[in-house]
Amino acid sequence: MAEEFTINLKIWRQAGPDQPGKLVDYTLDTVNEHMSFLEMLDVLNEKILNEGGDPIEFDYDCREGICGSCDLMIDGRAHGPKAMTCSCQLHMRNYNDGDTITVEPFRARAFPVIKDLVVDRSAFDRIIEAGGYVSIKTGSAPDANSIPVDKQVADTAFDYATCIGCGACVAACPNSSASLFTGAKLAHLNRLPQGEPERKKRTVAMVEQMEEEGFGDCSNFAECEAVCPKGISISAIAEMRRNYMKAALAGDEA
Amino acid sequence: MNLESNVPEGPLKDKWSKHLNDIKLVAPNNKRKHNVIVVGTGLAGGSAAASLAELGYNVTSFCIQDSARRAHSIAAQGGINAAKNYPNDGDTIWRLFYDTIKGGDYRSRESNTYRLAQVSNEIIDQAVAQGVPFAREYGGLLANRSFGGAQVSRTFYARGQTGQQLLLGAYQAMMRQTHNGNIDLHTRHEMLDLVVVDGKARGIITRDLVSGEIKRWMADAVVLCTGGYGNVFYLSTNAKNSNVTAAWRCHKRGAGFANPCYVQIHPTCIPVSGDYQSKLTLMSESLRNDGRVWVPKEKEDDRHPNDIPEEERYYYLEEKYPAFGNLVPRDVASRNAKIVCDKGMGVGPTGRAVYLDFRDAIEREGEKTISEKYGNLFDMYENITGDNPYKQPMRIFPAVHYTMGGLWVDYNLMSNIPGLFVAGEANFSDHGANRLGASALMQGLSDGYFIIPYTIGNYIAGAELDKDIDIKHEAFNEAAENAQSHIDKLLGVNGDKSVVDFHRELGQIMWDKVGIARNEEGLKQAIEEIQALREEFWQNVRVPGEAANYNKYLEFAGRVADFLELGELMAKDALHRDESAGCHLREEHQTDEGEAIRNDEEYAYVAAWEYQGVNGQLQEKLHKEDLEFEFVELKQRSYK
Amino acid sequence: MPSFLTALKSQVGRKILTGITGIGLIIFVILHLAGNLTLFGDYQAFNVYTYTLESLGWILYILEAGLAICFLLHAYIGISIWWNRRKNRPEGYEKYQTKGGPSHNTWASRSMALTGVVILVFLVIHLANFKFADTNMITLPNGETGRNLKAVVMESFQNPWYAFGYSFVLVLLGLHLKHGFWSAFTSLTMKHKKYSAIIYGIGIIFAILIAIGFLFIPLYIYFTGGQGALIAY
Ligand SMILES: Cc1cc2nc3c(=O)[nH]c(=O)nc-3n(C[C@H](O)[C@H](O)[C@H](O)COP(=O)(O)OP(=O)(O)OC[C@H]3O[C@@H](n4cnc5c(N)ncnc54)[C@H](O)[C@@H]3O)c2cc1C
Ligand code: FES
Repeated sequence: MAEEFTINLKIWRQAGPDQPGKLVDYTLDTVNEHMSFLEMLDVLNEKILNEGGDPIEFDYDCREGICGSCDLMIDGRAHGPKAMTCSCQLHMRNYNDGDTITVEPFRARAFPVIKDLVVDRSAFDRIIEAGGYVSIKTGSAPDANSIPVDKQVADTAFDYATCIGCGACVAACPNSSASLFTGAKLAHLNRLPQGEPERKKRTVAMVEQMEEEGFGDCSNFAECEAVCPKGISISAIAEMRRNYMKAALAGDEA
Repeated sequence: MNLESNVPEGPLKDKWSKHLNDIKLVAPNNKRKHNVIVVGTGLAGGSAAASLAELGYNVTSFCIQDSARRAHSIAAQGGINAAKNYPNDGDTIWRLFYDTIKGGDYRSRESNTYRLAQVSNEIIDQAVAQGVPFAREYGGLLANRSFGGAQVSRTFYARGQTGQQLLLGAYQAMMRQTHNGNIDLHTRHEMLDLVVVDGKARGIITRDLVSGEIKRWMADAVVLCTGGYGNVFYLSTNAKNSNVTAAWRCHKRGAGFANPCYVQIHPTCIPVSGDYQSKLTLMSESLRNDGRVWVPKEKEDDRHPNDIPEEERYYYLEEKYPAFGNLVPRDVASRNAKIVCDKGMGVGPTGRAVYLDFRDAIEREGEKTISEKYGNLFDMYENITGDNPYKQPMRIFPAVHYTMGGLWVDYNLMSNIPGLFVAGEANFSDHGANRLGASALMQGLSDGYFIIPYTIGNYIAGAELDKDIDIKHEAFNEAAENAQSHIDKLLGVNGDKSVVDFHRELGQIMWDKVGIARNEEGLKQAIEEIQALREEFWQNVRVPGEAANYNKYLEFAGRVADFLELGELMAKDALHRDESAGCHLREEHQTDEGEAIRNDEEYAYVAAWEYQGVNGQLQEKLHKEDLEFEFVELKQRSYK
Repeated sequence: MPSFLTALKSQVGRKILTGITGIGLIIFVILHLAGNLTLFGDYQAFNVYTYTLESLGWILYILEAGLAICFLLHAYIGISIWWNRRKNRPEGYEKYQTKGGPSHNTWASRSMALTGVVILVFLVIHLANFKFADTNMITLPNGETGRNLKAVVMESFQNPWYAFGYSFVLVLLGLHLKHGFWSAFTSLTMKHKKYSAIIYGIGIIFAILIAIGFLFIPLYIYFTGGQGALIAY
């Protein structure tokens, strides 16, 4: 068994959506290097519970870095210090005895806090709703191999499609922009032959929705790329801009 | 309980097309008048909701997560099967069917399994048309790989994230319909009860997980796509929110629960490291394509694996099963891992692990190729364990992964409660006593895209539903009050043991006695222990917070309460099934080498349990649906 | 489809406009520096240069108008982005830091609005001091009479406030360009796995060269008390 060590925490507590919140201090002296960050919070919650307090609410589901539920701002960085990692995949071996860690929710006007560290990210769903799909009906598809796709194109599409919709890009962006999220879906679908027919419509609709949701402008900070657990490149954003302006220039024809 | 399977007559390969010709249809302009509730937005629920909405039904959809895209299906790694035969290695629909039914140790319904193989190809077409970026060859066509239990390469994949890509395809199709107003989607809503009126499923009760509000929803049919119940073991590869609550509450309303004891234990997971452990991480089965499984021949050998010479390594799968080698089905691989560890050959600090070694593959193909194939899995492993699998073998151990059992359904995927359909992992239908790798995704999508949309029309067209009821109907009142009082009861206990502690204890009982190998004595003990634990739960559980707020502990408390009942049923089912089949290994019925010995004379049936109440003990009545094998011959499974 | 005008008003359009105007301003800055460096040419080179510019007549007005539009649009969009930043995250973080790696999130990039506004204010002073300054007239080599701007420059930069104030602002311009150069190209959708890093590198070198180029003049004049050997009198 690995040795136990002590971590000091400052965690954002907020009782409900419109209530004021504040950072509250906790100390946990039974941390072990193999624990994930969320397991450490579980253990802390059990301790709080034993002391008669209200456990800290935070979102999670898969705990494998794929569902995109977990969303913690750890010491001022979305998902913590490690690149290409979700909060749930961050392990305590990255910390030392006596460290103090500040944990806050992902903050943005478009991501209102529900409780403690839990936020509402449904704005992302509405961006997808606006056009993040290929409009085909079940049962109408041709044979899969009748649409050959250049391997490189398919691989790149996959790289963009790996977005888990966690919202780290928004949380870390000084402007709270959702350009990487929107751009990634566009870059996935727009480059595939299946997505080509709706390219313009999709791009315009998603960009407009993104703006309507109250996400900020992109100033090319690329902080989003740095915090993205899947390492999605901001090239997606450049591509989104290109396709959007092309669509606007082309107008309704072509 | 009516267990009429409603399988159409005729030759196996014509059953489904014949059925499609015969079933009743709802006229396009009438579909709008019918509401369908779809609970769950995983592969099954997402695809069903999208397809039903495309057809014109009014769909109301629910999930626990904050977005439909986060359903547990997102985590599936390895791939999805289909009988496309693109690699030209001799695959056919028959072969896929046969592998699946044999893999399931002949405990599934022939007709359902055959249909699954039949529609498998359409799923791939559908997904590709949606823009799912499957792996491709340089020529631009789709690539395949092999999975356990098959001698052909029929698995389509998107690196190690196939479930994610397929789910996003379904999710996007669903969001398109949401945008068009055909789906009314409610995230962060948990179904707490089924409303049955005049013997038919007519609605559900949910709790809004943000506000705590109990809400009522009415429909002409309810489709349950709420996933599997592997989390009854506390530690499993399932997502933390996966649960049995929706299915269990339907069971309490009269739906038969079939084969609850069939649980798949996946052979390649990262071993447990401590008490705080909250879940287990799967290392995809695809790793067994290139990784070799071994343990030291010497017991309790604590040398570094790289220092153990070739001749002192026991490649037990390759030696015992030369034909399939490391690619034997999951139940066989898991059982053998347990056997070698029980013999003291296990490795790692706990002695409950075996090696999965890529040394030879890296030598053969180079580190770059291996990293292209498995890079993300290797990274994940290193991230969790701190060890580098390029330099030393992975340590793996079996973990609970998938539940073949589930609510009983007929050929139309309708439960014994008319109007309650069940799809995906939540039903029991296609995998018998063991599921082959890459076929859960196939089943979820086949149910959702290609089966439910048709069979629901058949039901609705003939159902003669009472049009005068609304959500103020007495049945709705009763169900809503039931849901509310359950919550109040949980909050009212005010004991001093946490929900997690109860869950962990239940999990330990299940893993020790209803896990990889079971025996009569252990199962009987398990039943008693679970009963006692359940008793203690209702005396001493501590649920913090209030009902009218976001309260994850309350959510979990409700789910653990249901697991505490389900666990007993699983043990009961395992006890009654006095044979070994697939994943269900009764130690009393095995060969000297630990292979399952079936008893087809007495147990070639589906065990469907009818809930009759809990008072101290769980009261359940057994019903049987006999399995008839017209087209395949029952054989002792052999992977040698 | 949105009309072209609507598209330009969107987040994407605004960013494209920022990029275009930014590149316009970069070109202006290069030309301006080249012009300034004529100070180190022969005795009258600087005054000839300013004279030639001013005698362009309506062409100059068009160029100036274009330049003004670039400035104003660039500033307007930049300031509105900065304004929205607050609006779009009403409750800030207690602790915030960059994750590094591919990030370009630095003081320079976060402070584009600040450095931009300082440059803008400076510009007004700068125009008042030089462009619209009262100057003595002088006879140029070609026989025409022109403004003796060189004398104004030489005099101004011997004033420490002006010399150091000007230098400080140009350091800020360097920082603005450090992010701005790369960002303009990225906004104009030129983002590439390999080439972007090169553009970023060029941007940094460019920012340094521009800053040094501009800084050299006031500092040289100040420290040599207007007697430096590099300038012909
Ligand atoms: C780690 C891992 C890897 C896997 N890899 C593979 C693979 O490579 N190939 C393969 O074929 N299979 C794989 N599987 C199995 C496969 O992923 C699942 O069986 C399948 O995704 C289940 O899909 P589903 O739609 O039935 O349910 P799920 O995806 O579990 O979805 C359940 C849905 O129901 C909702 N829900 C649950 N309860 C309620 C309630 N009470 N009220 C409201 N909503 C509720 C949830 O929110 C969710 O939306 C893997 C499984 C795991 C755990
Ligand atoms: S919990 Fe699923 S990504 Fe972290």
